[in-house]
Amino acid sequence: MNVGPVNRDEATSEFFDGTAAGQFLLRRCPDGHYSEPAVAQCTTCRAADLAFVPAAGGASLVSWTVIWPKAAAAAAEPVVLVIAEFDEGPWWWSQLIGADPAGLAVGARLALDFQAADAEHESVPVFRLAD
Amino acid sequence: MTDVQELPADPDSGPRAARPGRRPVIAGLGMTELGKVYGRSPAQFAAEAVRLAVADAGVALADVDGLLTSSGVTGGVSVDLQRELGLTDLRLLTHMQAYGSTAGSMVQYASMAVASGLASVVACVFADSPLRPDRGSSAIYGTRHAGSGWWGLLGASGVVGANPMYALAARRHMERYGTTTEQLGHIAVAQRAWAGLNPAAQLRDPITLADHQASRWIAEPFRLLDCCLVSNGGIAILVTTAERAAAMRPPPVPVLGWAQCHPGHYLRRSPDFGLVSGAATAGPAALAMAGVQLSDVDVVQLYDCYTFTVLLSLEDYGFCAKGEGGPFAASGVLGPGGKLLLNTGGGQLSGYYMWGMTPLSEAIIQARGSAGARQAAAHDIILVSGNGGVLDHHATLVLGSPAVMR
Repeated sequence: MNVGPVNRDEATSEFFDGTAAGQFLLRRCPDGHYSEPAVAQCTTCRAADLAFVPAAGGASLVSWTVIWPKAAAAAAEPVVLVIAEFDEGPWWWSQLIGADPAGLAVGARLALDFQAADAEHESVPVFRLAD
Repeated sequence: MTDVQELPADPDSGPRAARPGRRPVIAGLGMTELGKVYGRSPAQFAAEAVRLAVADAGVALADVDGLLTSSGVTGGVSVDLQRELGLTDLRLLTHMQAYGSTAGSMVQYASMAVASGLASVVACVFADSPLRPDRGSSAIYGTRHAGSGWWGLLGASGVVGANPMYALAARRHMERYGTTTEQLGHIAVAQRAWAGLNPAAQLRDPITLADHQASRWIAEPFRLLDCCLVSNGGIAILVTTAERAAAMRPPPVPVLGWAQCHPGHYLRRSPDFGLVSGAATAGPAALAMAGVQLSDVDVVQLYDCYTFTVLLSLEDYGFCAKGEGGPFAASGVLGPGGKLLLNTGGGQLSGYYMWGMTPLSEAIIQARGSAGARQAAAHDIILVSGNGGVLDHHATLVLGSPAVMR
């Protein structure tokens, strides 16, 4: 399965500028705590003045699930979804591309990648197993 | 939860803070036909459920002076239900939404309302009708979010509906504690056996562990038989005071203790995700308010959107040690004849899926001693849970049998 189509809105405009440039933007507060990109205030200290800063790109596997298509669509491939923990601390939920779920383990090193449904829609962060 | 301050166990908190005549009881239960019941709107189911609850209590609709409403995935139930029922001069009217914890929370607010004198007969109702003859249940909860913004991004990434989120929680528990799919299967098998004794249950044919293991994957580690039903219908209850209930027909079911916990980490980094839920905080608080110990609990009704939700709740309430939920579930304690009387109506997995009204309704039936073939011999103290979001909202109730009133 590929990623689905998604459009930007006011809240996600800067984030999708980042994904278009191959960056995953996290939120960082003046004290240097990192938070997930959708937050309105720092998840550690509640500061409201947050900057978008690119994640370094390293992450590790927190959990995963394999989504199986219904029997009627048996030709479709199962999709692996993961929670990834960025090295900066925040978590993210997306697909794991090109990996055999049978070999997964908590803590496995992950790398970012980006996919778009088509040229009309935004680029979506996904993960691969790091080399 | 490590980051939640424990409430002190105040012997005069909750219902015991009110004079005995003012203490809250559940005096009416109304359940519509549940399951694949087509052609009625959520509002129609809700109105019918309230009428049934009023009839069950042996009072008139005009005696209802408070109304709390709750809707499911299709909405359609709101404060407008007052007009549908022709209720006038209500002293309490609110729509509530904390997902699967709402039913338990409604009882809590209704109890506080009657204990304080704000209202004297409060109807609490949930109804939903997502099932249609022309589509499967997976089409209902698997609907993609609108394709824009943060929700659109989550959907575009493939994270759609509750199944993947709960599966991610369960996998984390498995990796941390060694929990297995077979252990989850024991919960499904036990609840199906209970459902076989419940005429209102949707799925009553027995299943085996092998059946569970042969059922298709939905979202690993969940198989089909780890996932709850989807049902149409409505359930309402009446909360009133002990003194008002004395003149009503059914034996009153006292509300002895209550608590909520809303951890607040949805789509945020959470060290507890999949490992500890709000039940760990709400459970001890509700038991302390009721003035009872976990060992006093005779019957347990736990919210069971997935088998895993039951397993985690068993640990968090303290029926077994943290991480031991799997071996505990597989040890033979569950099901008819087991020593833990859990989800005795079949729950949401096999009975009917009315969100938090599923465990609550079965608790009331057991407390009254009217559960027929599945009736628990001892049913003085009953623990009820409600769970909403992705383990984000938890409500606990401690109910008593009519004998506890005296």
